[in-house]
Amino acid sequence: MTRAPGKTARLNRLFNPKDGRAVCVAADHGWMSDVTPNVMELRRILELVVRGGADGILISFGTAVRHGHLLRGKDSPAMLIRADWMNMPRLGASNVSNVLPVVNFKKMATSRARDALHMGASAITIYYFIGYGDEFEALNIEQAADFAKECRKVGLPLIIEPMAVGGMVTGVNIAEILIASGRIAAEIGADALKIPYTGDVKTFKELVDQAGVPVLVLGGAKSDVPRDALELVDEALRAGASGTVFGRNVTKAKDPQKMVADICALVHGGKTIAEILGEHRAVGQRLKPVPAQCIGCQLCEVACVRAHTPGYGQTRARLRVETPSLGEELKPHRPVVCTLCGQCADACATGALTIAPEARLVLQRSLCSQCGACVDACPFHLIFVEDGYPVVCDLCDGDPECVKWCKRGAIVLTEWKRRVRHVHAE
Amino acid sequence: MEIDIGKTIRISDFVHAADGRALLLDTTLPGSIGAVPGLEHTAEALAEVTDIVDGLIVNPGQAEHHAEFLGGRHRASPLVRVDWTNAFRGQDFCLPATEFRHLFISDAEDALALGASAAVASLFLGFDDEAEARNIEALSHLARECTRLALPLVVDIRPIGYKVGPSNFEESVKLGLSFMQELGADVLIIPPCSQGTCATIGGWIAVPVLVRMEEFPEAAHIDAFLAAGLRGFVLGEKVFARERYAERLEVLARQVHQRSSSDDARAR
Repeated sequence: MTRAPGKTARLNRLFNPKDGRAVCVAADHGWMSDVTPNVMELRRILELVVRGGADGILISFGTAVRHGHLLRGKDSPAMLIRADWMNMPRLGASNVSNVLPVVNFKKMATSRARDALHMGASAITIYYFIGYGDEFEALNIEQAADFAKECRKVGLPLIIEPMAVGGMVTGVNIAEILIASGRIAAEIGADALKIPYTGDVKTFKELVDQAGVPVLVLGGAKSDVPRDALELVDEALRAGASGTVFGRNVTKAKDPQKMVADICALVHGGKTIAEILGEHRAVGQRLKPVPAQCIGCQLCEVACVRAHTPGYGQTRARLRVETPSLGEELKPHRPVVCTLCGQCADACATGALTIAPEARLVLQRSLCSQCGACVDACPFHLIFVEDGYPVVCDLCDGDPECVKWCKRGAIVLTEWKRRVRHVHAE
Repeated sequence: MEIDIGKTIRISDFVHAADGRALLLDTTLPGSIGAVPGLEHTAEALAEVTDIVDGLIVNPGQAEHHAEFLGGRHRASPLVRVDWTNAFRGQDFCLPATEFRHLFISDAEDALALGASAAVASLFLGFDDEAEARNIEALSHLARECTRLALPLVVDIRPIGYKVGPSNFEESVKLGLSFMQELGADVLIIPPCSQGTCATIGGWIAVPVLVRMEEFPEAAHIDAFLAAGLRGFVLGEKVFARERYAERLEVLARQVHQRSSSDDARAR
């Protein structure tokens, strides 16, 4: 691919010349949406992002003035500057964090490319909205073309961010629109794209192939767990993406430095998600209820309590039997057991509650903050608190009493396969 | 009117000085609707045809990204399209256009910096009056800028608006030609017209006129257009989807330039 020397040199700062890939972080949210913690703590977050090893950071002009010094040095991330502004996050009143709703969708070019060049930027980023209406798209195209012309003149790379939004965009046509818009942006003069994931490897590969310029996948809304964000990166890379521009998935992460380092390990280091997260595939057994066999004797509850605590009773059992209510006598009794769904472990912010490689829930009391998140997260309401700590089913070390005592076979052991994190014994 | 030497040299990059004819390929539709069949990978497509045709009409982004396939003594010259439209977004496109939009995405200076041998823009006819007036205004500014920079201006006449039908199509083409010749265009592109209209045009227009074909032209049409005084062809993006398009382009190039009959050219 031929480009002016200025563009080539600056793209080399962004895309690692060794692998042609880049890990960028978008930290320009305060320029367009509500003031959130990741906006107010931007300096601290940027420091962590730099330490994490990002290749580029997307910021506004104001942030460049205030925090641009964090990007000094040959090994520091390239500065990408947002050269336009839009009010999309404030459209309508449905967004609860929208303190000042607007009615009309606006997007403005707010600087010239040369302003960013003088600031020391390695590239500028601009939006290209498609799907909101012909006139609005034409305005976007016109602004993008103006930037493209100036960028060619001054040797500054242009990253265009196609966004498929508006009433004409549906779940059915969004991938097709993104594929088309990526190519249109490249035809106008984009040197790289920052674009949402289409949802699957096949269509994203089509997008990457047809764009003909490096494609950086963006993260979108904050993922519930880091693994989801990493899986998105992994899929995009498999489709041929050249890297990422993640915003809230990094800036709102519990540990932005680790999140960036994890993405770098995936993008540059050739690591797998399992390696990054310290996971391995575990095979074990888990409980499975068979309601049709249950007669409601509740012996399993008694056996559970007897196995774990002195004495008898049912209130502190780690499972329960639900009986049909009045008028529904024909319905079966239903044993409710821990299925190792993992929602409690996912909700645990400190990593105290995990699923061990041998397929057991394990609580490390020293890490437990007694927040109760696991109790709230359990979809079966099986976790209870004792002495401040959660009590969970531990499968009786692989030989569950409930299974042994139920002569009807209403609770059985079944195979369980899942990726789990390594757990170090307390 | 004498054109200056800069324009003369640049026009001769894609209109042969010896025979005054040209065969061009247009690759710019993806700028409006994304990749089209055969043009999914621009570099591969350009590499296939650059040694065959006289010029390639490209969008600014592709002119920049794929400059290695463009220009040079024996390869296609880049003609940079400086405008954009949603007019070609039909019902089969994921986002069909509901209102006609046309705007300029580049200018003569930008095109020249991209190594262009000409700037290409469209004159749309048949849409509302304001759109037409804006189109003429923008083309006039472009023509003045092209003259100042000695960059040839190629205008692609597109009578595709709702006001154009079979009864006034060819008169619309002639109207567009008249406008653009007066405006100062150096090369004009028209859609296929009847033999009578082509003969009128060939005898009247002082600048090279090329015919835009969406498919490979039939042998009889090639001879008829050239005999009428038209100077060659601009093939649209659909030809990239045809089998053995490079081979067929070679045949067409011989037919255009060697004044041979179509049968002779195929036999060679």
